[in-house]
Amino acid sequence: MGSNIFGSALSGMNAAQYGLATTQHNIANANTPGFSRQVIDQQARPGQQTGAGFLGQGVDVVGVRRLYDQFISTQVLQEQTQATYLTTYHTAISEIDNLLADSAAGASPAMQQFFDSLNGVANSPESIPARQTLLGNAQFAVNRFQAIDQRLTDITTSLNGQLTNGVTTINSYAQQIAALNANIKRAAANAGPGQMPNDLLDQRDQLINLLSKEVKASVQSQSNGAVNVFIGNGQGLVVDEQAYSLTTLQSTSDPSKLDIGFQYQGNSIVLPQSSLQGGNMGAYLTFRDQTLEPARNALGRVALGLATSMNQQNQMGQDLTGALGGNLFTVAAPRVSNGANNNGTATLTASIADVGALTTSDYQLRFDGTNYTMLRLSDNAVTNLGTTLPLTPGTIDGFSFNLTAGASGMMKGDTFLIRPTADGARDIAVAITDPAKIAAAAPIRGNATVTNTGTGTISAGTVNTPLPLNPNLQATVTIAFNSATTFTVSGAVPAVTGSVAYTPGGNISYNGWTVQINGTPAVGDSFTVQKNTNATGDNRNALLMVGLQNKSILANGTASFQGAYGQLVGQIGAKTNELSVTSTAQTSMLNETIKQQQSVSGVNLDEEAANLLRYQRAYEAAAQALKIANTMFDTLLALR
Amino acid sequence: MRVSSSTLFDSNVASLSQQQSRLMQTQQQVSTGRRILTPAADPVAAARALDLSQSDAVNTQYTSNRNAARHTLSLAESNLQSVTTLLQDVKTATVTAGNGSLNNSDRQTMAIDLASRLEELVGLANSTDGVGNYLFSGFQSKTQPFVNTATGVTYAGDDGLRMMQVSASRQMPSSDSGADIFMRIKNGNGTFVTQAAAANTGSGVASLGNVTNPAAVTGHNYQISFSIAAGVTTYSVTDNSTLPTPTVLSTGNPYVSGQAISFDGMQFDIQGAPANGDSFTVTPSVNESVFKTISDLITALKTPVSSTAPGSAALLSGSLSRGLNNLDNALNKVLTTRSSLGLRLNEIDALQTTGDDLGLQFQQALSQLQNVDYNKALSDLTQQQISLQAAQQSFVKVSNLSLFNYL
Repeated sequence: MGSNIFGSALSGMNAAQYGLATTQHNIANANTPGFSRQVIDQQARPGQQTGAGFLGQGVDVVGVRRLYDQFISTQVLQEQTQATYLTTYHTAISEIDNLLADSAAGASPAMQQFFDSLNGVANSPESIPARQTLLGNAQFAVNRFQAIDQRLTDITTSLNGQLTNGVTTINSYAQQIAALNANIKRAAANAGPGQMPNDLLDQRDQLINLLSKEVKASVQSQSNGAVNVFIGNGQGLVVDEQAYSLTTLQSTSDPSKLDIGFQYQGNSIVLPQSSLQGGNMGAYLTFRDQTLEPARNALGRVALGLATSMNQQNQMGQDLTGALGGNLFTVAAPRVSNGANNNGTATLTASIADVGALTTSDYQLRFDGTNYTMLRLSDNAVTNLGTTLPLTPGTIDGFSFNLTAGASGMMKGDTFLIRPTADGARDIAVAITDPAKIAAAAPIRGNATVTNTGTGTISAGTVNTPLPLNPNLQATVTIAFNSATTFTVSGAVPAVTGSVAYTPGGNISYNGWTVQINGTPAVGDSFTVQKNTNATGDNRNALLMVGLQNKSILANGTASFQGAYGQLVGQIGAKTNELSVTSTAQTSMLNETIKQQQSVSGVNLDEEAANLLRYQRAYEAAAQALKIANTMFDTLLALR
Repeated sequence: MRVSSSTLFDSNVASLSQQQSRLMQTQQQVSTGRRILTPAADPVAAARALDLSQSDAVNTQYTSNRNAARHTLSLAESNLQSVTTLLQDVKTATVTAGNGSLNNSDRQTMAIDLASRLEELVGLANSTDGVGNYLFSGFQSKTQPFVNTATGVTYAGDDGLRMMQVSASRQMPSSDSGADIFMRIKNGNGTFVTQAAAANTGSGVASLGNVTNPAAVTGHNYQISFSIAAGVTTYSVTDNSTLPTPTVLSTGNPYVSGQAISFDGMQFDIQGAPANGDSFTVTPSVNESVFKTISDLITALKTPVSSTAPGSAALLSGSLSRGLNNLDNALNKVLTTRSSLGLRLNEIDALQTTGDDLGLQFQQALSQLQNVDYNKALSDLTQQQISLQAAQQSFVKVSNLSLFNYL
């Protein structure tokens, strides 16, 4: 009977020790990330049958269990990946948000200064200092465009670095998870039924949690204790004890970018951006493809628009030396890149045809073996280009392109990527250094003969748009009135025979210019339109250039330079704002769920303190029982 | 709900950092005075602010354009004021020269004086804006517009007007064509000119004349020829534009000094006593530069008048009256230009007021978009300060609570 009490007391002391050890383990790991508190499961030993019934024999510890809720943990994973995605995206976009609208660093003030100094030239076209200031401010604007573009390029480059780091991290997580899978399998196989290596499970869950910060992953538990982890469109990153790895690949469409590849049996399969969602990787890729590149394109479009329209207007004028104007700016050409998997020999060239029609999208030229198509990547609009070269239409959305077949032409599946405005901001440059080359004057002027006795006046004249200029633009043309209502024209090409009816104020247009004659010219009065020699004080063309500031030139005549830039700032600002709100919301949702999870799995030190006391008391009591049993033996032995 | 110990810390730390970031944002708003720290804070307002800033800058640019225009217009105006004074002086001198008590040498002196005034006038017409740009040369600002040649002063400029963008919708000429002011001045009465032949010996002087019937004016050249037969003076009118066979319009008309002579819609009179064989021409008005007018006057004053030859006195008198008339025409041109300059200067002032108002509106709108409302920001700041303080104090209290303190 006494031995009974010994055994029972001993089991109580053992159980209390187990309890103390587990409590101590909980206290020690109170701050370990991913740790789930553990409890011991006690079970009363089956009673010994006696005449009086079943007599209790003490207690057994049947298991050490972690408190863990699969449902909440899966929810944490999902919210974790989304919250990281939004926060990282928000951090990344905030950088360019500030950059674009900064009153000191944005392109807006630089463009304004350029137009201010253009006004200065219009006000005193003969002034070399005014022209020098314009050149200086043109350079300033160019530098500003380039600086912003450089900043965007730097961000792209650092994104490449972050993608590489992300891939390394993911691969390392995958290997650790696979190793843990192996350990857990072995440990579980050796342990009793239902007994799991809790701390290894916690470690693995923590790794999966970290992995989901990098990329969205789905987890599938196996009956043997292992888990399979899938990313993207079901690519198995960890399958049982086997870890697969990701890699970075130079993008086939744009060598400056990195794509993510999945390595499988020695091959790398490119994972599309759409399949890498969530987490840091998803944020980097989405930010790069849906914010950064469109921003660069939009900035490039403003720079291209400014440079091209200024060039065109300058070409329609005459500079201080009397020569016709040339280009003020060097203009970027569209960026064309061959698909890396192209098999054919075809080459593609592209050029800007009409800045007003340019979009901020990129384009992909495709060949399916029969049909050539152009895909606009921003909205996936497809334009059919026919089945034979030359492609028609040869101009889409303001850029024209020319496909040269070469020896074998374009093969099925070959692609070309065309980025019409991507380099607009990077490659803009001031083309002239001589301030005299700014064509402030118009190349022609209308003049009334001094001896005219009528009241007829002639306007100074305008050059007809569009370019190119008429080769006879500056030839002297004389308009002589042979009656009050008709005049003859000499010098026009082609020659004008006979009399032309006179309409006061009507447009008179020859040799690529247009003038108006008003009033009542007398018979014998004459007017000439001629080369605008010595026109140092003429500012007509400069005024036309100034007028471009407020003219809606871009986006099919809906946006001025400033307007288009403002749109860019607004779009980035709106997206940043949206991300700021959603990332805060998602983070607090995540925190709520973590709180839920912690309320199940987290360690509460007060509770553990109470448990310490509880098991200590249990131990003391069991020990007391042992002492009593001992006393009982003594009593029994003393009977003799 | 069961709360784990780390949750207690985590959530407190998160809430503290959130409050701190809000506090910092408000503090930045207060210290920069800007409500929108980055476009993300209010994307619509940020994009609108960029637009408004440009509009404001352009409006400011128009102000400096107006100042530049006002400068050149004022220069031209003060220049033409000098021209006006000069022409009025020349007019006075011309009237004085008609005084019969002057002798040849008096007129010679006056001619010398007028010659120097002519030089002065050419100088004024060639004046620059102070940095070497001619005011009245059209587009050719570096080309001297009025050049004294053997055949008189010619115009080397053009009719170009320099336009200035003085407001969003108004381009204003800031210069005037020198040809219009100084060269294109109709002589005579604007339709025709009467002039005595240089060889006349009689004392007949023709008046300026006027048009009685514009529809009948032909623009032809006419000659009035006098003949005296038996003490009776008659004249004939011939249309010389039909040469080689001139058309005789009328002949043998009796001459009475001061009586109207009219034909083909024109009417004038001749006063004095024309000699036999004297003639007068009537020609259509042409443009005569003010320089030619003055130099013709000088020539007339230099030509000696003989008391024995009544023709020379009549010639002088005719030249002086024609010159006076042409000077009036020239003065009219200058005054017309000056009034146009004055109108433009007035318009600039009006545009300036509008521009200032507009600038104020832009500034107000910008300030509403961008600037922080200090009352709100400061009250927010205080509130956030208090709540952060409360959070910190309660965190310290709560984190001190532990059962282990009593073990």
